[in-house]
Amino acid sequence: MTEKIDPMNVSAPEAEETLAAIQLMAQKTRRSIASGGTSITLIVTGIVWLVGFLATQFLSGAIVAYIWVGMSIIGSLVGVLLGSRLGKRLRSTSFNITARRAITFWSLLILYGITIILLARPTDGKQATLFIILFIMIGQLSMGLLISFSSVWWALPVTALALVGYYLLSDIFYLWMAILGGGGMIALGLYIRSRW
Amino acid sequence: MAELNETIHQPVRLRIMAALVTLDAGNEVDFTYLRNLLEVTDGNLGAHLRKLEEAGYISVNKVFVERKPHTYISTTAEGRKVFQEHVAALESILKRK
Repeated sequence: MTEKIDPMNVSAPEAEETLAAIQLMAQKTRRSIASGGTSITLIVTGIVWLVGFLATQFLSGAIVAYIWVGMSIIGSLVGVLLGSRLGKRLRSTSFNITARRAITFWSLLILYGITIILLARPTDGKQATLFIILFIMIGQLSMGLLISFSSVWWALPVTALALVGYYLLSDIFYLWMAILGGGGMIALGLYIRSRW
Repeated sequence: MAELNETIHQPVRLRIMAALVTLDAGNEVDFTYLRNLLEVTDGNLGAHLRKLEEAGYISVNKVFVERKPHTYISTTAEGRKVFQEHVAALESILKRK
């Protein structure tokens, strides 16, 4: 049977100190997990966006597509590598089911995204880019809500930035997405890693 | 007034529970990761984990990952409940001040 302590035997300063220790430990745990999960996702995605959108703004022709494909492959590989490292220290007991559902979800979202873009026939590259950003952010929001609520919120400001850039700063849309979208994600990722 | 749980009130066990309860339900952490997070020795952590496991507050899962043995730790539903009660008891002490 579990031993109980009479609360009358614990002083208020002692209780306060104990609660502070609990809070400190919870904060340290959250920070440690965030530095391995959300922050890495943000930094890797941010670098892909920064390089990809800068290339789109300043270069032309097939090289832009190659840069995007190359950066996406590198980003995915780094993500998988870091994800597997994180997975060894923190794992979900329902991981296999969740992973299968996540893969199915992203596959279907990509198929739906391609179909919708083909049907909607975007007027130019910027509109097509905005469609893709919106689909990625829908996916991020859905994954965040289903798997880990702490990683959901950053998709909302990125979506807002994309919409502001598309409607108000059309001429420098790609540069806007590179610096504020990509750069913002990198800065946020670094901030979470160091301070959160 | 709610009572304080002696098993949980011990400082290292309190920090173990605080760390584990912070995780989403169903998630478990590696022994080494938890040891580094708490900054304790293997032996110290092992002894406190045994106490918590015996009380039914945590679950210890030993598995092989890439042919290496790993020990994963998570809280049980009972552990989460008892920890919340413990925190509530501490807060009630502050209110009585």
